[in-house]
Amino acid sequence: MWRSKIGPFILDHLIWFVVLLVYIFFIFLIPNYLTPSNMINILLHASVLGILTIGQAICLMSGNFDLSAEGTLSLLTVLAAWLMLPYREAKLAQAGGIGWELHPLVVIPIMVLLGMAIGYINGALITRLNINNFITTLAMQLILRGAALVISMGFIMPGTPALFNWLGGGRIATIPISVVFTIVLFAIFSYILKNTTFGRRLYAVGGNREAARASGFNPKKQITIAYMLSGFLAGLAGWVLLGRLEVSVPNLGQGFTLETVAAAVIGGVALSGGTGTIWGAFAGVLLLSIIDHGLNLMQVDPFFINAVRGAIILIALLIEAQKVRFRRGMGKKPGGAAPVQAPGKLSGD
Amino acid sequence: MEDQPDKIMLEIKNISKSFPGVQALTDVSLSVMKGEIHGIVGKNGAGKSTLMAVLMGIQQPDSGSIMVGKGTFSSMTPHEALEAGVAYVPQRISMMGSLTVAENILAGEMPTNRLGFVNWREVFREAENRLTKLGLKLDVHSRVEGLSIVEQTMLVIAKALFSHAKLIILDEPTAALPRADIDRLFNFVRNLKTQGVAFIYISHHLEEVFEICDRVTVMRNGTVVATDDVRNLTTPLLIGLMVGEELQGFQRITPPHAEASQPVLEVKDLVRRGRYENIDFMIGKGEVVGLAGLVGSGAASLGMSLFGLERRGPGSVTINGIPFTASNPEQSFSQGLAYLPQDRYQYGLVGIRPVRENVTYPILYRLAMAFGMVNVEKEKKVVEEYIEQLGIVTPSMEQLVSLLSGGNQQKVVFAKLAATQPAVLILHEPTQGIDVQAKLDIYRIVLDLSQQGVAIMIISSEVRELLGICDRILVMYEGKIIHEFRSGEPETTPENILLAIEGGAYVEK
Repeated sequence: MWRSKIGPFILDHLIWFVVLLVYIFFIFLIPNYLTPSNMINILLHASVLGILTIGQAICLMSGNFDLSAEGTLSLLTVLAAWLMLPYREAKLAQAGGIGWELHPLVVIPIMVLLGMAIGYINGALITRLNINNFITTLAMQLILRGAALVISMGFIMPGTPALFNWLGGGRIATIPISVVFTIVLFAIFSYILKNTTFGRRLYAVGGNREAARASGFNPKKQITIAYMLSGFLAGLAGWVLLGRLEVSVPNLGQGFTLETVAAAVIGGVALSGGTGTIWGAFAGVLLLSIIDHGLNLMQVDPFFINAVRGAIILIALLIEAQKVRFRRGMGKKPGGAAPVQAPGKLSGD
Repeated sequence: MEDQPDKIMLEIKNISKSFPGVQALTDVSLSVMKGEIHGIVGKNGAGKSTLMAVLMGIQQPDSGSIMVGKGTFSSMTPHEALEAGVAYVPQRISMMGSLTVAENILAGEMPTNRLGFVNWREVFREAENRLTKLGLKLDVHSRVEGLSIVEQTMLVIAKALFSHAKLIILDEPTAALPRADIDRLFNFVRNLKTQGVAFIYISHHLEEVFEICDRVTVMRNGTVVATDDVRNLTTPLLIGLMVGEELQGFQRITPPHAEASQPVLEVKDLVRRGRYENIDFMIGKGEVVGLAGLVGSGAASLGMSLFGLERRGPGSVTINGIPFTASNPEQSFSQGLAYLPQDRYQYGLVGIRPVRENVTYPILYRLAMAFGMVNVEKEKKVVEEYIEQLGIVTPSMEQLVSLLSGGNQQKVVFAKLAATQPAVLILHEPTQGIDVQAKLDIYRIVLDLSQQGVAIMIISSEVRELLGICDRILVMYEGKIIHEFRSGEPETTPENILLAIEGGAYVEK
């Protein structure tokens, strides 16, 4: 029973036990922690990070990083404000839009489509020109950030329309719409990766690109789609974030990239591709959010917060690394799995 | 050559080594003199690799002794082997490609000035000096990745000598070389031989063994069957020793199939420059045809390019009379051709995904429902059927493929291909690296498929395997099909096939 059912179940959901443990830890540490408003705040904190993490996880599953998503978010929020807001003379670090005053229902599709177009460019550069994915998307992030600064001239643009703000700032009773939206997105993408042919192909390409090709898949296409989905999600994340803040800030989203990678990896998405689940990534997002929120409530010196976060990420990764060993132990024939080492592998020089 | 004790470079006495279930080496004895080039030949699985692993200290023998230079060991660590002067030159060379020749030669002992900076002029001068001493002309300033393969091989040998190697093991050094480069390598090796360096030369190319070696040791089933001066040997004699009596009264695993009536795969005038040319053959319904050839003969390349993993040159290919136009694996599957890659870890399987997913990759589009959803119920039925039919041993279909044994992994690849219900199945070394029981299972699967009418081509260097299972065996040499052996005819013997594989000696006769 232990070997066949409970063991693997615990291993598969280990991250959720860690989330629970940390949560309980804060319950004991912080008085009046267990309130609905605290829970909502955690989820609110988790929403933008969560949407971006879905995209990151999909790219990682295909065996590629996407470091550009925070740049995409930055450019799209600036662009959206610039297109929607009335023109106004730049003053006191504030400015208005270009003066077209486009309707939000026009701007939102533009954000999402532009995000996908950026993803397509990423994918095309990486798969067709064979440029390293890490460098390509890093360069893309810098370009997009630069474009955001050029468009906004470094000014903030306050006062986005109410219709636009509905998703990011609206609430149904006390529940923020963005929280519901995020959870729905996680559910949809979890379903897609688990149950569609696209999900299958994506995992196969990430797990072994050559074998996927020999199985009749087109790895270039799958990887490009992964980047387009990431861009799409960055567009949605931008919509949520800008709607919540009601003001566009040119360097919005800075630092999200590494958090999304950390959240995905904590949740069991392997950097080498081919494994991990979207709900696992959600657990990673929750863990980071609970920690941030908790340390804030405890009024921990902000200088310490980063160190604590780093330590927790490392611990989560250590646990993840050990999982492989436990799993091997539970497999039928661990010895038979490894390819036979040919003597030629050890050269004499 | 007299056996003077001070001239002996290496003496192996009564080495035995067993792995779980396999006796890899039994009572192997071998000696190599200073300044001798000693050939070791044998079929795949004869024990050459294990013996070399013992010499390099990678495997520890169960019994016996090894004398190298002045030291005697019952077993060695890799470090002790290097210290004793044993160096291994693998078939595929790995060096620091982006560094210069001089840097590779002097890696770890770069001359520096008082401040610890590298003295570059000294580096290049010293490297040049060392190479000249060995009679090797290479530009020490050029990058190693810019050198030809033969130059890299010679550089590896030279480097080994600079770290005081006395016995150099060359493992198939000529596999990827054109003739002119082989001459260059051999001249270099002969030159070193006169300076007292000892060589062990492993090769499947018997011609070259005769050309370069002083003595030859023949291995078979983990034992040494003969060691003799090359002047006393001939190619047929050597092949006879390699094959042994085990095949004299060889029993076919299967009766020959009925004469093929209806052609399925027809290939006419297929050419790909530098790989193969004038390829003409046909495989009938339910026929099993072997394609034998050494590395570089074009057999492997032909299989890959038919499937679309490599480019295919001009020429006509038809399946059941319909032109076969596929240029990638996806199209090949849908046009009825499936291919089992030689390296199942690299091309066959996605190890970190479960058995269920791996089996259905090529037929995924057939399992798709609305919105691209996978019909998992139907999928499970298909997978269950193939697990049962092929006898795949796995705790469940959700088990990760990498956790299965080699034989079961190979069966998963077979299941994956069989699920596409191909008209033509090309198998590349289908039993490589799996145990005896699994091999028999694989043969049974191949025959089952042929009985279902699949036209099967097996690309293999295992002559015995081909003889056991094929109706016909085509032999490729230097890119051409040079001979066809039909099952049951008197000329179809392992000796004759090996001779043909070795370069047409049999055909020319």
